[in-house]
Amino acid sequence: MAKQRPGFIADPVMRARAVSPLAGHIETGQFGVAVGQSPSVRLGERFGLSIAEVTAWKGRESKCRAAIKATASAALKVAPGSGSVKTAAGAFNIAPMRWLVSGESPELVANLADAVSEDGTVTDLSHGRTVIRVDGEKSRWVLAKLFAVDLSDAAMPRGNGLATAHHDIFAQIQRVGADAFDVYVFRSFARSFWHLLCRSAEEAGYRVD
Amino acid sequence: MTSHRISTGGRIDRDKPVAFTFDGKRYSGFEGDTLASALLASGVRLFGRSFKYHRPRGLLAAGYEEPNALVTVTTDGAREPNIRATELEIHDGLVAESQNRFPSLAYDLMAVNGLAGKVFSAGFYYKTFMGPVIGPLKGTRFWMFCETFIRRAAGLGAAGTTPDPSRYERMNAFCDVLVVGSGPSGLEAARKAAADGKRVILCETAASFGGTANWSGKDGEMFADTVLSGLKSEPNVQLLNRTTVWGYYDGNTLAALERVTDHVGRPRAGKPRHRHWVIRAGHVVIATGALERGFVFPGNDRPGVMLADSAQRFACEYGALPGRRMVVFANNDSAYQAAARLRERGAEIVAIVDVRPTVGDWAQSLAAEAGAETIPAHAVTGTSGGKSLTGVTIRGFDAETGNLSGSKRRIACDTLLVSGGWSPVLHLASQAGAKPVWSDKLHAFLPPESDGAWEAVGSAAGEGIEPPEPVFEIAATGGKAFVDFQHDVTADDVRLAHREGFQSVEHLKRYTTLGMATDQGKTANVPGMAIMAAALGKPIPEVGTTRFRPPFTGASLGALAAERYGDLRPERLTPMHDQHVAAGANMYAAGLWFRPESYNRPGETVEEAYVREARNVRRNVGIVDVSTLGKIDIQGPDAGEFLNRVYTNNFGSLPVNKARYGLMLREDGFALDDGTTWRLSEDRFLMTTTTANAGRVMQHMEFYLECVWPDLRVNLTSVTDQWAGAAVSGPKSRDVLAACVKLTKVDNDTLPFMGIVHGKIAGAPVMICRLSFSGERAYEVYCGAHHGPHVWDALMNAGASHDIQPYGLEALGTLRIEKGHVTGAEIDGRTTARDLHLDWMLSKKKPFIGSAMMDREGLTDPRRWTLVGVISLSGEKLRGGSHIVDGPAEKPGRSLGHITAMCYSPLYGKYIGLALVENGVARIGTRGFATDPARSKTHIPVEFVNHVFYDPKGGRMHG
Amino acid sequence: MIITCPHCGPRDLAEFTYQGDATLSRPEPASTDQEAWNAYVYDRANPAGEHREYWQHAGGCRKFLVVTRNTLTHAISGVEFAPATGSSRRKRS
Ligand SMILES: [Zn+2]
Repeated sequence: MAKQRPGFIADPVMRARAVSPLAGHIETGQFGVAVGQSPSVRLGERFGLSIAEVTAWKGRESKCRAAIKATASAALKVAPGSGSVKTAAGAFNIAPMRWLVSGESPELVANLADAVSEDGTVTDLSHGRTVIRVDGEKSRWVLAKLFAVDLSDAAMPRGNGLATAHHDIFAQIQRVGADAFDVYVFRSFARSFWHLLCRSAEEAGYRVD
Repeated sequence: MTSHRISTGGRIDRDKPVAFTFDGKRYSGFEGDTLASALLASGVRLFGRSFKYHRPRGLLAAGYEEPNALVTVTTDGAREPNIRATELEIHDGLVAESQNRFPSLAYDLMAVNGLAGKVFSAGFYYKTFMGPVIGPLKGTRFWMFCETFIRRAAGLGAAGTTPDPSRYERMNAFCDVLVVGSGPSGLEAARKAAADGKRVILCETAASFGGTANWSGKDGEMFADTVLSGLKSEPNVQLLNRTTVWGYYDGNTLAALERVTDHVGRPRAGKPRHRHWVIRAGHVVIATGALERGFVFPGNDRPGVMLADSAQRFACEYGALPGRRMVVFANNDSAYQAAARLRERGAEIVAIVDVRPTVGDWAQSLAAEAGAETIPAHAVTGTSGGKSLTGVTIRGFDAETGNLSGSKRRIACDTLLVSGGWSPVLHLASQAGAKPVWSDKLHAFLPPESDGAWEAVGSAAGEGIEPPEPVFEIAATGGKAFVDFQHDVTADDVRLAHREGFQSVEHLKRYTTLGMATDQGKTANVPGMAIMAAALGKPIPEVGTTRFRPPFTGASLGALAAERYGDLRPERLTPMHDQHVAAGANMYAAGLWFRPESYNRPGETVEEAYVREARNVRRNVGIVDVSTLGKIDIQGPDAGEFLNRVYTNNFGSLPVNKARYGLMLREDGFALDDGTTWRLSEDRFLMTTTTANAGRVMQHMEFYLECVWPDLRVNLTSVTDQWAGAAVSGPKSRDVLAACVKLTKVDNDTLPFMGIVHGKIAGAPVMICRLSFSGERAYEVYCGAHHGPHVWDALMNAGASHDIQPYGLEALGTLRIEKGHVTGAEIDGRTTARDLHLDWMLSKKKPFIGSAMMDREGLTDPRRWTLVGVISLSGEKLRGGSHIVDGPAEKPGRSLGHITAMCYSPLYGKYIGLALVENGVARIGTRGFATDPARSKTHIPVEFVNHVFYDPKGGRMHG
Repeated sequence: MIITCPHCGPRDLAEFTYQGDATLSRPEPASTDQEAWNAYVYDRANPAGEHREYWQHAGGCRKFLVVTRNTLTHAISGVEFAPATGSSRRKRS
């Protein structure tokens, strides 16, 4: 297995030159918030993450889970959607024998490739996905406008994730907190999706930092 | 007009007056009023004109079943017609107007239609416009001639033509139990489910929860308030008022429309007008109640004739008394209760006319409470008054035979309350797939056995409904007797339909349009069927009920379109989008992608721009964004073998750091897609596909890996968005790269044709493959998408001294046409590799997808449409899609093919194109015509040439 | 319509794409039996009643599923991961 090229943010110079598709399109402040109220949703991009998809060969699932645990300190259960989230890294199952792993370490993708080795494949998606965090008491309300998936406590424990779509926009969603969700969309849809999300959150009142 | 407002009671807030206008006149009501109740309280009785005959119409009902009182609401210039006044909550500044009147409600010139009643009888539309018509105004022309008149005379409200400024939204919801209807039974069901710890959604179509509890007595109101406050404190219960569940679909998925801000004049920013709910429910409780029916008798549509329960609702829920002096006409006991309640609220009940020969004790005592004379064995045979009721005539009536007897007696009154029995609201149960069953006791359709996914409770299940005497029509003479008020269908129309041979209830519906208006015949279906059954001499259940289809009540199109509409439509942008826009590109929507069409300089046309751009590629160097190409990461020890099976040519032997042009076929032997695939390591490839086919190719390969060859160890991941791509093409392209690429050389030895190198541009890691779509020496430069803008700028800077220019889709197309490269226009699902002269790519050493079918007789026929070049001989611009013919304009002959792509060729100084032409290769060197009779009306002489116009030996791109 | 994906659970039809008849198996790749290929590519039973169909969960886990669906009622009686039924190894039953 050829060694995976490192995630794009490995080089601090290049990290500074990386351009988010949302650059110049994120307006910060409070929107749709009635006088005397506080926003019930916070929106923000998590730019600069290392992101990779790990796929196990048949019979090597547990080895891949172990590799993910070793690299991203994410302990994964043998269950659809099972995931784990820590401050610096996280992972969740998106399909049988397939996980999405993300983290702040510039070496994450290369380390994953080393750890997974012959047990599966690793694909760098650090440039290919845009991650948007939706947090706050109304986060489920806002996401329910766009996605036909059950995001309730019972259906989606913290750390777990799933793959779904909003019309043509394919999305992977991980629950990362009590009311917080990270939505992974294809980079090319990022602006459309951000616009859609802001529009959907306006009713609840939202803040962008 | 005197006030009909009752001073106490009801769910209106008398401390909050609301001002609105109806037909230009100012009125006031209270918060909690509907337009209907506010106008009724102000003494208004006339609400509209009927659909066909323009008869004056008042309120028949108080809720969503109201057939008459449809109004148009104007908000900031946007008109929305056909809103029921009984559902429209008033707010300050509301502007509503009545419909079907010209020039005004009170003086309607079109009422003349009533005099011409015969003309507009059942089947009028069919007979007039579909049947044989002789003379100059035949068929559709006659229809077009009459349409304007008919539309005005018989239309429902007119829709606006200005764009709707409102916001609409979709909402997805999941619950264990969905309760539809918040009357006492619905509330009880919700309470029980919540107590069991279930996730509950309760939908109520009206503004306030409680249903009949709001108007049928103090006890009910208390019960409702108690249960409601309990439900409100449950975290697992979602209460949705102003929400109509209108569709029941497979898998217990229900559609509902929430009217979020229709009841406020100026909604807060961000609030949608309507919200389209899609609710996936574990279990559905249908608690939709029952609707009262009237009777069919002459003059039954006169303003002042109202359903008894609805009158009670106006008086009790809204404090609006429908009249002062009332007569009740009933065939069951429920109307007696309404009479007693209305007496309590201040109305005088003069008499209760009952078709039954005897009336029970309970009803008698209620009649006494109401202070009304009970007149059994009688029926109302007519009404009098102009635009408002002044009295009714009654006669002796035998409920058994339907015969009238004795002399007419006239009773003066301003309101006639009718109660002809009850129909459970079965729309959702019917949509769930169940056929309603007829009850001989309740004389109504009841929900059938459920499959367990839903249940009906309360009066929707027939519980607590007073059994009526089965009398639906009083066959008296003296005027039109209406069955369907909204579509103006009379009892005679139904009988006429029968005489003309319509036996099935579905045919009857379509022929008479009974039950097909916006109320879907909520009050009309059962009486209509009863009359049909009588005419057929069959019992009602044998006539059948019609299948109810969604929507139950009108759903706004805006809510259904929601975020797919306007600026919320998803767009895909490449990493260099902002650069293109800044450089003045016309952006062109190619599927979901936005791509530069051409970079027009000031004063340039698109054609001038692309010709300049293409010429610059041939002379100097150009750069084009190719980020939209589909890109698939193919990894695994069997990746080479997999590609051998997928592509027609050999990939297993491709060396590392080399790319190859590949062709895929479908299983049936036709071409599917082409593209280059790069071998990055022994077990890793990067496949590129055409932009349009990216998804399709991915699915195609996933299918074979999962369903056909699961033994192959190969993984696929879409990496289209991971890479930004720029193609640098032209004789000076190598100089541009040499000036900016670090860590690798780019000379011919290091980077030969189809070679791959890794390096850096301006610090960003890049992969460079030398391949050409234009026919010039060219390179595709890929970098991480986030670095795309940076690398693009670096390439532009490095190319500045070499006259680099960006080029768009038009120039890209021009260059590829000159080079004879195929795209989706030629790989159109009907062409084979041979048709496109790609048979050199068909390996004979291995089977591949499509290899078994590609040599079938019809696919190897030399007369098939094959790819050729065409040159316009007249200098006229060719049109894509033009047919190829061999005759002149007067006698073109049959089509021999079509032009797939065209451009102005800077190389030839002529319009050229590619075409798929019958027996194409044999035609090379001959002439024909490109004809476009429908659009540009051009008929252009063309010469057929080899499809490769430019550098057929490929010396320029290999050099 | 809702399809219960064995991995993702119940999801809307909109997330799935129909991928054809799942009762067929592909002839051996090197087979030159034109009738067998013709049957595989073109012959479809179009039954009124239960049918086995490939659906891909394209807007989810992307797995190929075999859905047993009644073509008259839309009732789905079974969903399973595509068990390589299209493989040449399995003979037509
Ligand atoms: Zn799935």
